[in-house]
Order: sequence, then C-alpha cells, then structure tokens
Amino acid sequence: MWRATLRGLFAKKFRLVLTSIAIVLGVAFMAGTFVLTDTLGSVFDNLFANTTKGVDAVVRAKEPFKASNQAGGGEQTRPPVPGSLVDTVQDAKGVDLAQGNILGYALVTGTDGEAVQNQAPTFGTPWRSPSESVNQSSEIVEGRAPRAPDEVALDLKTFEEGKFRLGDTARISFLTVEPRELEVVGAFLFGGKRDGLVGATLAAFEPETAQEVMNRVDQWDVIEVKADAGVSQTEVRDNIRRALRDAGLNGDFESITGEQLAKEQSDELKKNLSFFNTFLLVFALIALFVGAFVIYNTFSITVAQRIRELGLLRALGASGKQVVGSVVIEAFVVGALSSILGIVLGILIVSPLQGLLSAFGIDLPGGALQIEPRTIVVSFLVGTGVTMVAALGPARRASKIPPIAALRDQAFDGGAGRRRYIWGTVLLVLGVLALLNGLFGDLSGGSAAAFVGVSALLVFVGVAMLSPLAAKPAARLLTWPAIKGNFITGILARENAQRNPRRTAATAAALMIGLALVSAIAIMSQSFKTTFRSAIEDQTTADFILSPSGFAPFSPEAAQAVRDELPGSTVVEYRFGTIEIDGDGTAILGASPEFTEMTDAGVSRRAAAAFADEGGMLVHRDTAEDRGIEVGDVLDVRFPNGPGTLTVQGFFDDKKALPTDADFIVSTDNWDGFPDPLDFYVGVLKPDDVSTKEAAKIVEGIADRIGGVEADNLAGFVDRQIAQFNQILGLMYVLLLLAVVIALVGIVNTLALSVFERTREIGLMRAVGMSRVQLKRMIRGEALITASFGSLLGLAIGLFFGVMIVQAFASDGITLAIPVSQLVIFGVLAALAGLLAGVLPARRAARLDVLDAITTE
Amino acid sequence: MTATVPTPTSTTAAARAVDVTKVYGAGDTVVNALAGVSVEFQRGQYAAIMGPSGSGKSTLLHCLAGLDRVTAGQIFLGDDEISAMSEKQLTLIRREKIGFVFQAYNLVPTLTGLENVTLPLALAGKKPDQAWLDQIIETVHLADRVDHRPNELSGGQQQRVAVARALASRPEVIFADEPTGNLDSKSGAEILGFMRKAVDQLGQTIVMVTHDPVAAAYADRVVFLADGLICGDISEPTVDSVMDNMRRLGD
Ligand SMILES: Nc1ncnc2c1ncn2[C@@H]1O[C@H](COP(=O)(O)OP(=O)(O)OP(=O)(O)O)[C@@H](O)[C@H]1O
Ligand SMILES: [Mg+2]
Repeated sequence: MWRATLRGLFAKKFRLVLTSIAIVLGVAFMAGTFVLTDTLGSVFDNLFANTTKGVDAVVRAKEPFKASNQAGGGEQTRPPVPGSLVDTVQDAKGVDLAQGNILGYALVTGTDGEAVQNQAPTFGTPWRSPSESVNQSSEIVEGRAPRAPDEVALDLKTFEEGKFRLGDTARISFLTVEPRELEVVGAFLFGGKRDGLVGATLAAFEPETAQEVMNRVDQWDVIEVKADAGVSQTEVRDNIRRALRDAGLNGDFESITGEQLAKEQSDELKKNLSFFNTFLLVFALIALFVGAFVIYNTFSITVAQRIRELGLLRALGASGKQVVGSVVIEAFVVGALSSILGIVLGILIVSPLQGLLSAFGIDLPGGALQIEPRTIVVSFLVGTGVTMVAALGPARRASKIPPIAALRDQAFDGGAGRRRYIWGTVLLVLGVLALLNGLFGDLSGGSAAAFVGVSALLVFVGVAMLSPLAAKPAARLLTWPAIKGNFITGILARENAQRNPRRTAATAAALMIGLALVSAIAIMSQSFKTTFRSAIEDQTTADFILSPSGFAPFSPEAAQAVRDELPGSTVVEYRFGTIEIDGDGTAILGASPEFTEMTDAGVSRRAAAAFADEGGMLVHRDTAEDRGIEVGDVLDVRFPNGPGTLTVQGFFDDKKALPTDADFIVSTDNWDGFPDPLDFYVGVLKPDDVSTKEAAKIVEGIADRIGGVEADNLAGFVDRQIAQFNQILGLMYVLLLLAVVIALVGIVNTLALSVFERTREIGLMRAVGMSRVQLKRMIRGEALITASFGSLLGLAIGLFFGVMIVQAFASDGITLAIPVSQLVIFGVLAALAGLLAGVLPARRAARLDVLDAITTE
Repeated sequence: MTATVPTPTSTTAAARAVDVTKVYGAGDTVVNALAGVSVEFQRGQYAAIMGPSGSGKSTLLHCLAGLDRVTAGQIFLGDDEISAMSEKQLTLIRREKIGFVFQAYNLVPTLTGLENVTLPLALAGKKPDQAWLDQIIETVHLADRVDHRPNELSGGQQQRVAVARALASRPEVIFADEPTGNLDSKSGAEILGFMRKAVDQLGQTIVMVTHDPVAAAYADRVVFLADGLICGDISEPTVDSVMDNMRRLGD
C-alpha cells in the first residue's frame, strides 16, 4: 500500500506542489513567528543579564499591591527606597558593597535640536567608576566618567546619534526639574555592545546629581549588592533578608538575587512578547485553517477522480480500511513534507517578517536566530495534523466507494447529502450562539474573545457545509450579464461551476474566510474610528493636544512650558496610573483639576467645580452604583508610595472622549502618591486674546524643543491617532493576505484538477470549434465565479460578525459605521484575484493538444 | 506554347489529401500510419473509409479534419490548404466548415441537447437559423429530447444529437469516426439513415470511418486502407461487394 501510494503521489508533481503550498505557507508563518519571538526573548534575556551584571542581590520596596486590571503603561507601582537603607544593607553579613541605583527619565536633545529617541524609553542613571561600582553593565569607551553636577556621559549610540563631541553641551530634560545643559564628558558601552540597550537611550550622571534630577533626593529605586568573595548570591540574599527582619524593615522591603531580578525583568517583557506571539500565531492559524480547506478539497477531488481505480481495488478485495489507509498515508506524506519545507521557509522569512513589521511601525531588535526544538516539533505536528484531519473526510468517502464504481466513468464528488446540510445547520446555529454568548454574555475579556473565535470557526465550517446549496443560484446570479449577452463562454463557465456544487463551494469557502475576517475588521475599525473622531471633535474643545511621538509618556515639563509661554491658557494633563481601591489594583486616569472645561465626560457642574477646587476623584456612574459609592465618600486607597485617601467629588458617565476606559479619574493634584509624574496627553485651550495661529506657533515650538512630543490641533490629533491605528490595521490586512493567497492557490488547484478530469470534454469543444482564447476565457470565468461566490459569502459573514461585535460595544458608545466602498473594493479585488488564479489552469487547458485530448481514456 | 503553371482551380472535391504521409514516433518505434495517401472526396457524396484495425483510418480522418498535422503532403478543404494553416485558422475552419461525429463522448455534459447542437454556432457568435435548426432536429427525430442533458439520453439519442450538431453549422464536410461503433444495430441503422438523408436531402458531404460492411453499404463510395495506403475504392457499395473487398484485403 505504501509503495503504491508514494509512487502515485510523486507521479502527480504539479498537484503535490500546489497542495503543499497551502500547508507550507501556513507552517512557515507559524515557525517564523516562533523563531522571531524566541529570538526577541533571547535579546531581552541578554539585556537583563547585562543590566544586572555584577549584581549579586538587590533590595527594593515591596510591591504595594498587585495590579489586577492593568491599563495604560509606564506606571511604576513600586515606591523608591530611602537612602538610609544602604547602610543597613551594607552591614549585613557577606555584603562587600551596597549601592543605590536609579533608572529614571532623562531625555537627551541632540546637537541638531532633535530629541534622541526611537520609540523606546529614555533613561538616566548614576555613574560610578567600575572599581567602585556594584553594577558592571557599562564601561567608558570615550572620554571619562561624569564627576561633577554639570557633567554627563552618554551611551555610545546616543552619543553618535546626537552627533556629540566630547566637551559639547547636551540639553537634557527630566520629569520634576527644569531641563539642564550638561557637558558631555564621556561615552560608554552598555553590555559591551553598541545597541546593547535595544533602542533605549541612557544618560549617566554623578550619583548625587542623578538623585536630584530624577526625583530621588535621598532615595534610590533599588539597592544593589556585591557579595564578599566566596559568598553565593542566595547566601548574601538570605543574609540581607535576615538583616532587614532584624531591623524590622521586612514589611516594606525585600531582597532577591541578581539572577532572580534578571529573570523577573525578562519574564515581564516576555509577557508582552507573548501577546505579540499570540497575535502573529492567530494569523498563522488562520492561514493553516484556510490551508485545511484547500487540502480537503484537493483530496476530495482526487478521491472522486480515482473513483474507478478505488472501486477496482475494492472489487479486487481491498477492504474499506485499506482504501482509507492509502488516502491517509498520502495525506501524511504531503503534510510531513510540507511541514518540513514550511519550517525551513519559516526560518528564512524571519528577517523579511521583521522588515514587514518595521514597515508598519513595529521596530524590533535583531539577534542571533533562536530555533527551539519546540518550534520544530509544534510546527511539524500542527502542519501534518491539519493536513491529515483535512483529508479524513475524503478518506472516509473513499472507503465507502462501492466496487461497482469501477464500472462508472464520470468523476463525481457525490451529491451533498442531507446529513451534510443538517450538520452544517447545527454548526452554524452553534456558531451564532457562541457569538451571542461571547459578545453579550457575562464573560471576561479573554474568554469572550475565545468564544468569538470559536464562533467564527463554527460559522465558517457551517457555512462551507451549507454553501453548496447556494452555489447554483449564486453562479446563476453572478453570470447573469454573460447569459443575458448570450456569451457562450460565460454559459459554459457557469455550467462548469455548477456541475460540482460541493467542489465549487469548498473552493470558494477558503476565500470566504479571508474576506470575512478582512471585512469584519474593516467594519469594526471604521466604527471605532468614526466614534473616536466624533467623540473627540464633539466632546473636546481643546485647541491643541500634545501626544507622545512613540509610545513612551513624556515629561510634565511640556505642560508647564505651555502654561508659562501661553499665559491664560487652560492646560490639562492626562496620566495613567494604578492604585489600590477596595483591595484591588485598579487602573485610574489622572487628569488636571480643570479637565472638565475642555472635555465633556458628563460631569455635573457641581462635581466639576468640586473636582477643580479640591481635587480628589470622579467615579464612573455605573461603577459607583455597583459599588455603592456616593458623593462625599472618602475612600481609603493605596498609592504606590503608600496609603492615602481620595474624596469622591461626583460622577462621570461618558468615557468616549477620555484617553482610557478607567472607571476612576484622579486629580493630578493628588499625584504625590506616585513615584513619577509622566504625561500621556496634554490638552491646551488657548486664551481668547491670542490668535490660533500665534498659539499654534508657541505650542509647536514647545513640542519641537522638548522632543518625544507632538503638538496638533484637534483634527490633526485625531488624524495622527487614526494614522497610528491604521498602521496596525494595515499590518493585519497584510497578515490576512496570506490566507487569501492560500485560498487563491486552492482555486488554482481545483481548476487544474478539473481541467485534468475534463480533458476529453475540452478536446471535444476544441474540435467543434472552440478557440484557445475562448477556452481560456471559459476557465478564467469559472475561477471568477468561484472567487466571486467566496467573496460574497465572506462579505456576508464579515458583515454579520462586524455588526454584531460593534453592537456588543454599543454600551460603550461605539456606533456602527460600515465602510461600504471599502467593502466593495475588497470584494471586487478578491474576485479579480480569483480571475488571476484562473490564468494558470486556463493556460494548461489551452496547451492541451486537441487530438490527444479527445483520444484520452 | 505559353508556360502556364497549373494552379489548383476550384474543383468539386470537398476534401482532398495529396500524397499524405503521417509518421508517428522515431527510431525503432517509428510507425508509418499513412504512407502516401492521395484521395478526393466529392461534394454531396457520402463516403466511407474501411480497413483493418491499425490501417490508418482514424489518422487519415484526423488529418483531413485538421485535428492532426501531416508529416508530408497536403490536405485541402475545398480550395483551402488546411495543412498549411495555423492553429488559429484551423479553429475557425473546424468551427465553420467541418462537422464532427465521434464514436462516443460527443457531447458536453453540462449543456442540454439543443445547446450541444448549437455549440459551434454559439462559439462563432452566430445566431442559429431557426428554420434550419427545426429541420435538422426533425430529421434526427429529437424534438422531444433536445432539452435534456446528455446523461439523460440513450447512447443512440446522444449520437443523434451529435449528428444534428454536425449538421447545424452547414459545414462543408462532416467527418464521422465509427459513429455507430457503440450502438446496437437498430440505433446504428437510424443514425446511418439520418446521415444518408442529410446527403440526399440537404446536400451534405460526409466522410465516415467504419468497420461495419452494413454501415459502409449506406455510403456512395468506399475507400479501403491497408498499412497506410489506399488499396481499393468502390462506388455504389453493397454489403456483399464490401465484404468481397475486405476478404481480398485479408489475403
Ligand atoms: N499518437 C500515436 N502515436 C503513435 N502511434 C500512433 C498514434 N496514433 C496512431 N498510431 C499508430 O498509427 C497506426 C494507425 O492508427 P489509426 O488509429 O489511424 O488506426 P485505425 O485504422 O483507426 O485503427 P482502428 O480501426 O483500430 O481504429 C497504428 O499502427 C497506431 O498504432
Ligand atoms: Mg480508428
């Protein structure tokens, strides 16, 4: 059985190649994703191993609370440690040297006046000479160490990017002190590499200055410890723990080893990385799912075409099991070969993939490719598994071929039985129920998304099973113009598309999936964008908005500068943070007291006045009702720096124009409880006596000067945000394109196989006068019909999902917006791409020799 | 005396082979399917080609119909030398000037009987002449079956549709390769009768390959082939005269 199967397989190379492509692409994508994220992981492992080089243990404040629903980013929940703690740690047994360290905000402006920043954080840190320093992550390579308050050393990359020479002055901005002009006295390498910081910038100051400029006077972020020779990391850590306990400080502070710290930091970053990994894997799985349809279809067709041969086998005494076996073996070989190819291709596409991501604004550091055994094993198993599962249906059908089939002569996929339609209906109904449950049920975000995903899967399979019912009428409808015009090739194309509704439907279904996803995403994003735009434009009166150039928040220096240079203006700062309320770490939005003057969040006049005068907090009305919070309540909360109270001044009920969907708005006057003030957005309402043009000049001047910040008017801000959003959207479309390409390969495959099985018929038509051009037109027409059918089904499903998902967010004020022209363009493009897919099979058909064709058996 | 070049002026021959050879394969496996055949088929005549299996009958028919290329020699259809034509021209010739009836699988399974009949016309973008269409459908007794697909027709009915299709475009010649080879004698006789009628009443020209002396006896003339050469040509054949000739060939 094996040998016969294999021989048969390699005899049909063209089919083998086309079938493989469907799996190879999906597996390559999957393997590439694994390799990419593993590579990034190792880059970060390396980074944090360097950050903690020389550090045997650290002491830091305990995390005041566990954040349960994080929002925003950049907030630090661990308070600093007092400078006096260094002595306590130094006195512990086995400690050679204990030193405070800081990693704070410091933004360097280059000699050209532009801030040196690449979407990554900009750090400042104290510098000590290597012989006196615990931390050994950096070494001076040019100039010398900063020794005086007006000196700074920069990491080599920043030094070069800012075009500094030794002795130049660098303007450096901070969070809580005025920007300073410091003399650049040296450049250093971090982790022994030029890009050891993975995009971040690092400025080093004399230690006491570092404390001053980074809001840590008499404080440190952590205390780093070097152990005595011969004392292990765990030993010294345990000694320090004991010392902390003896001093009665173990309630507030903790100690871990340097290795633990590196791992912890790396794991933290890898958590984000795993989101990214999942994001890409979803697209790889979509591609494989579409690939499964192509495989299913190819095997169905080949089983149908081999019906005589298989019937003969049965007639000669082969059992149904043996027949199944031969199909399954074929699937295994195809799946295994494709998976291996896919894995190899996947490793090759890592850097193009990275290039693609970078083209969409996602810049990732490179490193030596990490090929984990997991990558190979999982990709292989998934690729081979998908192929075999997809071939199972056709294999079972093969086993049911009766021996009498040996005597029939037409390839026939079999009529779609009632059972198929019953199952299709069941799956479709289950899918819709899953969707309703996912969207409107009482579920957490993660499981809601899982329900929606499963629902999409069920609906796709259900519709694919039911779609043969629609194939005939659809073909009729789609070719109506051709029939009207009495174009014979159109009629023939239609008849061909109809003769095997199941085949046409399955081929179309592959394309349907890609199109459904694209159009659902288009509807959702259009709705979100439209809602966002109208919320900002209708509910915000700001003349200008400052926002980060990348993703990193910026210094309140910007807001202060606007207040100074545009007197009489209203300036509102927005910050993100986490505090503990009712025992839960809760995301909050920080806002300047007068924010209600600029943004309509449905805050009553009285509450707005109270918030402006006294600070405190506003609570979302629904949350307040749920928790029984009333105006005037004084809530005991815990800020990162310690416990505090917040007075509830009133409610707000509209989050649409706010930067986060936090349920609590805390006045920036109450920000003392946070280690650092970092602004994400600043709204500016200019004074009446300054013209818009003049004000714009001033605000833009400030943004230019400060760096890492963009200033726009309201419309410009919306455009900028939407442009950022569109970039991610564009990336998703490009990633979905792979699924569409695989579906097109499926069309090529189906048509090529159909041409093969209709050789004689094609010969006959040519003999009675069909020209090559007409023949090609007929086959391309068939492709066009199939693709249009798939694209119509996809648009319909996408419309349904898109509308339903947007409805689920109706309570958040998201209103439905359907990008009609965009959807039409998607549909037409898909249909045209289908036409393109018909070119190759059409050419093959046209190349058939007429006489050979009519005389084939 | 003036040196005039004898140009092939309009003759009455509908199809003509001049010194045609057809060689398949090369080297050891070379087969001379046609070894120098010259033959003319007159307009308005019903001709049969007979001969032992492998004698080159189908090859000759295919060459005459422009389905196959000759190795040497010329083929004319009326005044047109089709052996010199491009594939594109041949397509037009097949569509407009030639009708085909094969032994089996004559019809496009997705089209109804009537659509099959009008297929060559549709491919040419021509409107069928309704009166003519009615007449041929009448001739082949198909009026009540033309809206059925081939898989709903019997073998005999399918062949009748094929004959109707061959007639529909009023071709210069109809080529038929064992059109009754797959039929029982009654259906076969029907088909042969229709072809006879097409020649007598509609003035059609037909060239038919057959193994069956009874079928050959419907024709006006029988050409005998053996080993790729013409080796006999009788007019007004009867079953007996055909059998005689065949027996002679067998010797
Ligand atoms: N494509 C081909 N390649 C090689 N040889 C061929 C090919 N077609 C025909 N032949 C050979 O040419 C010779 C003539 O074949 P042809 O089909 O014309 O015979 P025929 O008289 O029609 O026979 P039959 O009565 O069996 O149909 C045979 O010897 C055949 O084997
Ligand atoms: Mg023959």
